[in-house]
Amino acid sequence: MTSHQFEDENNHRWQRLEEVIDAVETKQPHEDIERLPTLFRQICHDLSIAQHRLYDSAIIDRLNRLAIAGYRTLERRLSGGWERLAHLILREFPQTVRQEKKLFWFNTLLFWAPFLFFAIWTPNDPEWAMRLLGPEGMVSMESMYGSHTSPQDYMREEFGSNFMMFAFYIYNNVGIDLRTFAGGLLAGIGTLFIVLFNGAHIGAATGYVHHACNPHTFYSFVAGHSAPELMGVVISGMAGMRLGLSLIHPGPHDRRTSLVLGGRRALLLILGACILTSIAAVIEGFWSANPMAPWIKYTFGAIVWSLTIAYLGFCGRRSHAT
Amino acid sequence: MTSPNALADTLQTVELADGVEIQLRVAGPAIRSLAWTIDACIAIACYIAAAIVMGMLGVFGMENVWEGVLLLFMFFFNWFYNVFFEMTRHGATPGQRFMGIKVASVNGGPVRLPQSLIRNLLRFIDFMPAFYLFGFLSTLCNQRFQRLGDLVADTVVVYADPKPANPLRVQINATPQPSPHPLSRPEQAAILQFIERAPLWSDDRRIELANLLSPLTGATGPEGLRRLCAIGLYLRQGHPSKKS
Repeated sequence: MTSHQFEDENNHRWQRLEEVIDAVETKQPHEDIERLPTLFRQICHDLSIAQHRLYDSAIIDRLNRLAIAGYRTLERRLSGGWERLAHLILREFPQTVRQEKKLFWFNTLLFWAPFLFFAIWTPNDPEWAMRLLGPEGMVSMESMYGSHTSPQDYMREEFGSNFMMFAFYIYNNVGIDLRTFAGGLLAGIGTLFIVLFNGAHIGAATGYVHHACNPHTFYSFVAGHSAPELMGVVISGMAGMRLGLSLIHPGPHDRRTSLVLGGRRALLLILGACILTSIAAVIEGFWSANPMAPWIKYTFGAIVWSLTIAYLGFCGRRSHAT
Repeated sequence: MTSPNALADTLQTVELADGVEIQLRVAGPAIRSLAWTIDACIAIACYIAAAIVMGMLGVFGMENVWEGVLLLFMFFFNWFYNVFFEMTRHGATPGQRFMGIKVASVNGGPVRLPQSLIRNLLRFIDFMPAFYLFGFLSTLCNQRFQRLGDLVADTVVVYADPKPANPLRVQINATPQPSPHPLSRPEQAAILQFIERAPLWSDDRRIELANLLSPLTGATGPEGLRRLCAIGLYLRQGHPSKKS
């Protein structure tokens, strides 16, 4: 059989598939839509035959194109939408955090060790912290939490500045989370550096407050949003390290497969971290700066910390009864 | 997946679950850079437009609110511009659509949201240290021109379906004749492709190529070309033993 005979004989089928694919793409009804899988299998068969018999490249090209288009059409899935997002937040994310216990403690140490070191060391010897914060950092710390301030002050006087700060925290803090994750691809070194630096910088700020500002103003400001924000930093570190570890220690897989699998897991972690950081941005933007009695803010902060820990520790656990 | 000694080729063969092999035409760094440049120009235009609009709205008060909107816009535009467009049914940003390329899974299927998120969040690393140096080096080190983000997301950038070209139907004046020697499949394929494309070339070029096969045809010049065409026509008719 020559190519032309082959084409003439089967052309009607190919045209049918082309029509069905067009109908799916343009979301039009088509009588043969349920025959799509059958038509696709026939195209695959025809393509194999045409390849085997060395038919004209025009025919092979056309069949190849149809097979790809058919495959893409069949493989189209409606994304789960909100249900999928809820599943991610309520189950997959906290479960993954618990499964990656070692990474969690490693990143906790990576962040909190420099934090505590600088927070405790700075009041004795503020030299390092001052270097780290720089003159601008020190000025802004003093204007926010300086010794003349009190926790009852309204920290942002202009209308709309709450929203502006919220947007800034999303832009800046979530952006840092995403970079922490991406840095994992540099064999984890990028992540390591960002998390360590973050811990040192926040620790230096805390220590500097004790050295030169009013700690009361500072702690009542950060109490509310500290839990999701600091957890977000630690967990985006986990995401980056997951990626970096799949690169340098592929385990039973080859490196490429290991990266793909590690990437999927890391994506779950970074998405969760971004959600936590966004929650922190909402609290920091719209709650933390309000003039309220410190005990209200501390109580609120304690509640948020317990909720965050309970969420990460228990959400999505399977009950033993079922 | 691909054997290490496979030829480097922009046609990458992928085996589908049905056992059939499809061929994807992967796009190289050059055309992707052009697509990126177009997208970068669009991004700059959007930033300028947004800054102007927010600045004008600021005249009526609430500067802080508009500044916040601008920051949020920049955040989402920076990180999720590509994700947004890759999730449309074209699977391509405006720049990529203009250049006729799109993003696909390595297996030829459409790119999914998690894949798109991974490849675009890791763009930050591909861009380092400047202008996609890491990404460029990565595309040179594997057979599918994947940058680092593509490797982790398991995606490739391929040429979108080109419009089918009208096949050239030219009568070749020669009587079909079998080849004097048995030919292997790649050899048959080469001769078939030769007579398929020969009408596009000048006479000199056809003869030049046919001369390479003088050991097979036993002649050079126009006579060699005529004999090659005869063998090609014979192959095209279908081998008598392979009738179906």
